[in-house]
Amino acid sequence: MNTYDIIIVGGGPGGSMAAKTAAELGLKTIFFERGRKPGEKNSSGCGLGPRMWKEFPGMMKDLTPEKCPSMRAGTAARCYFVNKEDKVAGYVMSRPTESVSYEPAKSWITMNCYRSEFDPWIADFATKAGAELKNSTLVVNLLKENGKICGVVDEHGEKYKASIVIGADGAISMVAKQSGLRTKWSQDQITVCPQYDFQAPPEKIDDIMGDETLAVWWGSTFPASYQVFFHDGFHQGLGNWLTKWDKNPLFYLNKVINLKYYQRLLRILEAKPRELQSHLLPWLQYPYNTHTDGVILIGDAGGFPCPLEAEGIYPAMVSGKIAAEVAADAITFDDVSKNGLSKFDEIWQTTSLGDDFEAGEELYNIWRAIPFSPKETMTWFIPMLMEALGGIYDWSQPHPNRIRQIAAKIKSYMPQALPFMMKYVFPLVAKIFEDDLDKMMDPQKLMTALPKVMEMLPKKKKRRRGT
Amino acid sequence: MEIRRDELTKHISGTGDFIKIDQSKCNGCGLCARICIVNLWGIKNNVAFIREDYKEKCLECGSCYQVCEPSAIDFSYPAGGTGVVYEQG
Repeated sequence: MNTYDIIIVGGGPGGSMAAKTAAELGLKTIFFERGRKPGEKNSSGCGLGPRMWKEFPGMMKDLTPEKCPSMRAGTAARCYFVNKEDKVAGYVMSRPTESVSYEPAKSWITMNCYRSEFDPWIADFATKAGAELKNSTLVVNLLKENGKICGVVDEHGEKYKASIVIGADGAISMVAKQSGLRTKWSQDQITVCPQYDFQAPPEKIDDIMGDETLAVWWGSTFPASYQVFFHDGFHQGLGNWLTKWDKNPLFYLNKVINLKYYQRLLRILEAKPRELQSHLLPWLQYPYNTHTDGVILIGDAGGFPCPLEAEGIYPAMVSGKIAAEVAADAITFDDVSKNGLSKFDEIWQTTSLGDDFEAGEELYNIWRAIPFSPKETMTWFIPMLMEALGGIYDWSQPHPNRIRQIAAKIKSYMPQALPFMMKYVFPLVAKIFEDDLDKMMDPQKLMTALPKVMEMLPKKKKRRRGT
Repeated sequence: MEIRRDELTKHISGTGDFIKIDQSKCNGCGLCARICIVNLWGIKNNVAFIREDYKEKCLECGSCYQVCEPSAIDFSYPAGGTGVVYEQG
């Protein structure tokens, strides 16, 4: 029998972070990876935000192009708006705005790198801290004694004993299933994301994309599709909840690839398809059932991807670190019961993870309703937005006439837009500003402010020309 | 643009049988066939079947398992160190 203090199933960023933390706290630690090395099975191509450097400064300063050649940071992001005729109706490129307060976040938005490089890099921290990494090993079951979880069993029947098991084993988590925490996600809690990796010469990417790091292609006939640029290639992928597919997901991804605009981009970037990938990604309103006697679930296994954009690396690392700290305490105080491990929830809820999930339900709802219901919403949302952004480019008539036409057209979308705002936008705004809402909605204040606003509105059309 | 899917994936052999279908539980809904990115599922006589060469094609995303309402599909991962490899994941 192999005996440890803590066993971690999974060698992704969450598992490695848990293993590193546990080893540093003096626990005898082992973590398992089913690939020949960490990252070999993963395809989320991470875009690391400045929050990674804020939260893990010591580690992140060690991430260099020598160790991670696919690294590419960028300052700008682009949103393409594609109408129901599959034409790029417009796009907006943006960079960090004046309200950004964290200094490094002013000069770049994400650092992108392939998981095949990032995951081994982070696993190294764990092994250097003294954790044992077992590659090429599939953990198939939990070890139980008198109904109590006390370790794991690998595919060869080898047993490993420990008082705590951390499930860092991704969207389809054996640890979640065997511990009774969850048999399966329900269909509206999980998305599938197919993606292509394209190869492109680094100098072409730099010349053509400049300092752009990512793009979102907002479609009217396909769910929103993301594009992430690496040193010598880029990902183009899309996802949607399993309830939402009426055709094969690749049909929709190929729609993006076959946009005339996209084909032109591929040509000028000299891009060639290099790899086809697919992964599941939990996307929840709020993580739940994260722990039980002797077990904590982290990262994707625990349902932690961010409810705004479903980025999962950072939440995996933060939840992994917290889980290991809670586990170390639980071992010290000899209480690995569900109750003892409930500190895990208490702690993550007070961190940036908890903050991100504060409006998780509202974000989840609005997101499902806009880019991930393209036919229902984007078919009117994109033309409405484009009226506002680009309607003025019409030199066929006097500009005031044109502005009235634009306003009338925007007004014609209101039967769709207003219920949408009532149902999805207001609840989100109300949730995010709930502390101030009473003040903002104070009838007396509204009544003193409103007449002033009304006075400012012109009562009748003034003629400028001489009488 | 026609992308040749088969040339874009890399697999290591020796996976063992990691996807199983209990045809008695299958209701023939066809969701597995619809969701699989690499089209490994088919429906015959109102029952799902998986292509014989799935071990060399599967991307291991687990969508078929996840989408199957009657839980007719059992999915475990391939043996450690085998199956799909992502070099630019």
